[in-house]
Order: sequence, then structure tokens, then C-alpha cells
Amino acid sequence: MAVTKTIPVTAAVREETAEKPPNRFRQAFPQYAAISPFFILFAVFGAFPILFSIWISFHSWDGIGAMKFVGFEQYSYLLGDPKFWQAIGNTMIIWVLSTVPMLLLALVIANALHNATRFRTFYRIAYFIPNVTSVVAVTLVFGSIFSNNFGLLNAFLQSIGLGKVEWLTQPWGIKIAIATIVTWRWVGYNAIIFLAGLQAISADVYEAAKVDGASPRQTFWRITVPMLRPVILFTAVTSTIGGLQIFTESRVLFGDTNNIGGPGDAGMTIVSYLYQSAFIKNQFGYGAAIGWALFILIVLFSIINWRLIGGNDSERLTSRAKRRADRKIAVQKGAAK
Amino acid sequence: MPLSRRTFLAAGAAAAAAGLTGCGSRSSLGAANELSMWTWVGSVNDDLIGQAEKGIPGYDGLKLSMTRIGSNYKTKVLTALAGKSLVPDIVAINDDVATYFPNADQFHDLYDLGAKEREADFLPWKWKWGVTPQGKMMAYPMDTGPTALFYRTDIFEKAGIDIDPAAVAQLAPDWDTYIALGKKLKQAVPGSSITDNVNSIFSYRMAQQPKRYMTTDGQYIGDQDHVREAFDLAVRVVKEGLSANAQDGSTDADAVVTNGKLVAFNAAVWWAQLGPKNAAPKTKGLWRVTAAPGGPGNRGGSFLAITKYCKNPQAAFAFISWLESAQNQAQAFLDPVLFPSTPASYTDSRLSAPDEFFGGQRIVDVFAESAKKYPGAYFSPYDSIIGQPLSAELVNVETAGKSPDQAWNDAQRQIERELTRAGAI
Repeated sequence: MAVTKTIPVTAAVREETAEKPPNRFRQAFPQYAAISPFFILFAVFGAFPILFSIWISFHSWDGIGAMKFVGFEQYSYLLGDPKFWQAIGNTMIIWVLSTVPMLLLALVIANALHNATRFRTFYRIAYFIPNVTSVVAVTLVFGSIFSNNFGLLNAFLQSIGLGKVEWLTQPWGIKIAIATIVTWRWVGYNAIIFLAGLQAISADVYEAAKVDGASPRQTFWRITVPMLRPVILFTAVTSTIGGLQIFTESRVLFGDTNNIGGPGDAGMTIVSYLYQSAFIKNQFGYGAAIGWALFILIVLFSIINWRLIGGNDSERLTSRAKRRADRKIAVQKGAAK
Repeated sequence: MPLSRRTFLAAGAAAAAAGLTGCGSRSSLGAANELSMWTWVGSVNDDLIGQAEKGIPGYDGLKLSMTRIGSNYKTKVLTALAGKSLVPDIVAINDDVATYFPNADQFHDLYDLGAKEREADFLPWKWKWGVTPQGKMMAYPMDTGPTALFYRTDIFEKAGIDIDPAAVAQLAPDWDTYIALGKKLKQAVPGSSITDNVNSIFSYRMAQQPKRYMTTDGQYIGDQDHVREAFDLAVRVVKEGLSANAQDGSTDADAVVTNGKLVAFNAAVWWAQLGPKNAAPKTKGLWRVTAAPGGPGNRGGSFLAITKYCKNPQAAFAFISWLESAQNQAQAFLDPVLFPSTPASYTDSRLSAPDEFFGGQRIVDVFAESAKKYPGAYFSPYDSIIGQPLSAELVNVETAGKSPDQAWNDAQRQIERELTRAGAI
């Protein structure tokens, strides 16, 4: 019975589908339409500029006149351009000068915040506030602090008997000044992220350590830091992405001068150089080529980060153990011969 | 239900499409009865613009719609031109007017609109700067930047120097004597400087020369003696300790005027406002100007151009020629201190009034003399490409103690690379 009943039903369904094949796209049209605003806006303001910049980077274009196809010339000029390599070097140095102290400080601050018992919210807000202030305003204030002849910092150095430093004209002074601004702005942000990580560590572990008689220093280096490792890697990755795109600080400090990165272009970052090429010198093709070089650089760094994070510990440990065993075998074989 | 939703979405998409194409269909900015104009802040007299905003003189139905742009002016103009829509009818152009010459087809030829009749009213060298090598008049003269020597009488008196402008001019007719004068000033008042930084000397020396970086037929001459001489002069002033080492764009740049370190400065007329009047109002009455060591010169000054998208080129030309008439340029000198490019303005009573900031001196006489005698030099479309590495290397010499020969060679190598890429050499 059951069998005879089901057959006609499926047949009927089959008949219907044969008559009028369901247009799956049409059926789902309202849903597609509903999610389309994002994709339309992305196509106009995201995808199109990205594709167009690839197109421009193979041309010579002053922004107004006709575009002239030049093939890979912009890229080959880029590889031989000392200014571009200087920009990469500057960016890397500023990045190290800002990220290393920033993450260390943030870790210490987060630890202090975690152990604070009074005014906790006040301290957290206080450390986070620099991050929500305007970069331009902050940079202007720091510009006056670091100013060569009449800066606060030099006034302080002189008052305690040290000589003044030409912060905004010496190559290292410029880099330190920019790194300081970046550090000041982002240290609180990273501290809050570390704090969230700290709060996720179970109190039991600390209790056990206390029972075993571990000193606060031992607890910090042997429990807190290892257990925070994923959070530390996250902050390192976000700082890398931010660090490679530093621009506003040197732009506000040095403005539209002949050296976009200040004297000797010591504060010229990759993005500064891109901006100068495209929007001051109106070499849009070259600017686009720098943009794509920056993209490749970011991809490289992402791969490095991914290699650092990718795979879990036990896998890595076993692969390391295997390599060690292989080496041992090879050595033994060598000895046997 | 799905049908109505579909209709709704379709209607929305159609409206969005109509809106987007609507943007692209008009090419000139502003309403049909408006002439739109872009300039940067402080480049026009506000009263005159106010009059034109009520009605363009001679074109009753038309009004001016003015936009003053605070920063990144050129980038915004180029973006508008590149967009080929909503381009302003009239744009102001700075002294880098020649960089627009390769794209002169974006602008109306002012000779076609009757500019020839006005040519005799203007300084010949200034007029020539707005004309392309092909003989098309792309830009109409606004103000100029004749140079002269500014100096502080109180400091000169301390050094025992006669403060009379004629006497100072006689004492320092060229750069050698001027440097000697600077050393004397520094001895009397330690810390005295005769320039804010190395590049001012270089730029103002170049501004006195009859040639710059390229010849009219496109030959590069930026590595020749006249440039090297200006380069070496700038380095020499630094080596003599007469530069305040306040780099352009730094917070120190104004401070050297405010705190009185800069006691003499060979600069363009507009510096009177940007420098002492703004940064050191307390020094009122202490400044004088006289003929610059090394001869007359010009630095800066701007132009007006009518874009090819203009709704009514005749009306736009009538407006700019009215705005830049000798009569109205004299008014623009009072506010915001734009020095006229029309010699007839120099005898206007409003210009020749004594200036209390300069101890009652009639400073217009000094600058008019400089403007009339300036030899005029050819600006090529590549001048900013060439000037940039030279200036950047001079900063390296002053701030980092780089060897001048090394700096010169590095600058020349960089220029050669950039000019080759630009297809100029």
C-alpha cells in the first residue's frame, strides 16, 4: 500500500518540475536584493578602485591628460628607486621603535590594571582615551613638545643640565618622535586587549602557583605571558598592519614641505611616499605601483605571521621531534660509515 | 507581496541609477545663473568678491559662486579636472602655472576672449608666464611677488649701521656685502640670522636670475653654473652661521620672526604679512625695506584660468579682467596684501600711503622698482620636479651636515632619473 501511494506523488512532482523548471536565482532574488547594498557599494568604492589602481599602475598619467601605457616601467623604476627603499627602511624602523615598547608597556599596564582594586574603571578609561582622540590634534601637540628650538622636551632637558636634541631635524630624532606618538596613542588600546586576555586566565592557576611559593615575577613570566600568547600574537599582527601604514603623524609634523618626511626624508613612510608621488607630484601611475608594492609587503608579513600562528603547539612539537630524530639517524649513519 | 517588494527594490535601484547618472550629465559646477570659482584662502579681496556675488559686472543675470579652499588646493582642482564633471568655471592657479601647460586643452584660450587688448596694462614678464610655448594664453595674471630686503632698524642701530633704506642698499648691493653685513649684525647681537633656513637663500637667489632650470626649447640647464652658484651661496650662508635653521613647515618657522632672531631677510612682498605682521606684531615701526642685495627678483604670484567646461566664457573673462584691473588690484593690495601685476596701480594713492608698520615708509616704491626691473625667467612644466630634490638636499646639508658636493650630485642624479621618466630629457 505504502509503495503504491508514494509513486504517483513523486511522479507528480517530477511532472511539475519538467513543466516549469524552478529558476533558483529568481526564487532567491529578494534575498539577493536585500544583501545587495553592501555589494553595490563595495563594487563602486572598493572593488572598482582596486582594479582601476592595477590598471593605472601600468600607465603614466598626470590625472588630467591621456593615459599612456608603459607596461612594467613603473615597477622597474620602483625597484631602482632609492627613495622607495628609504621609505621601506623608515617604516620598518618606526614600526620597531613603536611596537616593541608599546607592547611591553601595554603588558605591564594591563597587569597593573588587572591587579588594581580601586578606581578600576577610571584607569581603564584614562588609558584608552588617547586612542579616541584625533591623530592630527595629538600630532600637533607632540610637534610642539618635540620642537627644536622652543619645545617642551628640550626645555626640560636643558633645565636638568642636558643639551638640547634636534628632535625634528635629526634622522633618529624624527623617527623617535613619530614612534612616540604612535606608542602613546596605541598603548592603552593594547593594554585593554591584554586585560581581556588576563581576565580569561583561570584564578586556579595563580592560586596553585601561590601555594607552590612562586614569586610575582615568576608568576608573570611563567604563567601570565605564556597563557597570553594568542592575545600577544593578535596585538602583534594588528600592530604590524597599522605600522606598515603609518602616514598621518609624519604628514602633520612636516606638512607640504619639499621633504615630505622632514629633513632628509627621515620620517617618510611608504604611504607618505605614495601620497607624495600621486597627489603632490601627480604621478598617479607611480603612486598606484607603490600601493601595490605595499600590498605585496603586507602579504609577505601576513605569511610570516600566519606561519608563526598557524598549526597548534603539539603539531609543531611533533614535527620538531621528528626532525630531531631524522637528524640523529643521519648522524648515526654518518658515524657508521 | 513578493511582487510589491520587487517593485519597491526596482524603483529604488532605478532612482539610484538616475541619481548617479544625474551627477555625470552636467559638466560645470553651480546653477545655470552662477559662475563658480575656486581659489585658496587669502588670494582675493573679499569686498570685490562680495560685489560679484550679487551680480557679475556687465552680466546682470549672472552671479559669482565663490569657494575658498583651505588646504590641498591643487589636488582638489586636479581631481575636479580629472572627473570631467562639476568642474568650476574659473580656477586660481599658483606660480606653478607651467605645470598645467601640458593640459592647456582643459582651459579656454584667453586670447580668443579678447585678452590681447589688456596685455599692455600688465608687467610683460608676468603676462608671458600665463602663455604656453605654443602661444595659447591659458592663465590671466593676478598678483606678483617682487622681492626686497626687509630689515630691523633696532638691531641695525645696535650694530652701528645707518638705518636709512638708501644707505643700507648702498652698503649691501650684492650677496657678498650682504653676508659681511650679516656677520657684523651677528657680532653686535648674537643669534642674529639673515634667513630662516637654507632654502630661502637658494629660492630667492634663483628668483633674481633671468633663467631657471630649463630653456624654452626644453633643454635641461639645472646643472649649470647659475644654479650651482645659488646652491653654493645658500650653503655659504649656513656655514657662516647666519641661518636660523628653522625649516619650512616646522613650528620654529614663525618663532624665528616672533623672537627676533631673523633681523634681515631678502624676501617677497607677501612675506610682510605672513612674516612680521602676523608673527611679530610688536615689532611695528621697527622694520624697513630696501632694494635687495643681488638685484630685483620675483617669487610667487598667481593666475586665474577659465576651464573648458565654463558655462559662459565671455562673462567669465569679463569678470576676471574686471577683478584684475589696475583699479581693483590696488584694492587687493590693501587686503590681503596682494602686490599688483598692473604698473598703473603703483601710483594709486591707496598703495603709496605710508605704512606705519614700516615706520611710515612707502614700501610700494621699493617693490614696484623690483617688479618693473625683474628680468623674468622661463618656468618649465618640470620646474617643480627639478626644484624638489635640490631643496631636499639643501635641507640635508643644513640639518644633517651632508657634504655640499655629495648633496649636489645626489640631487642631480635624482633629477635626471625623474626627468627621464617624465620624458623631459
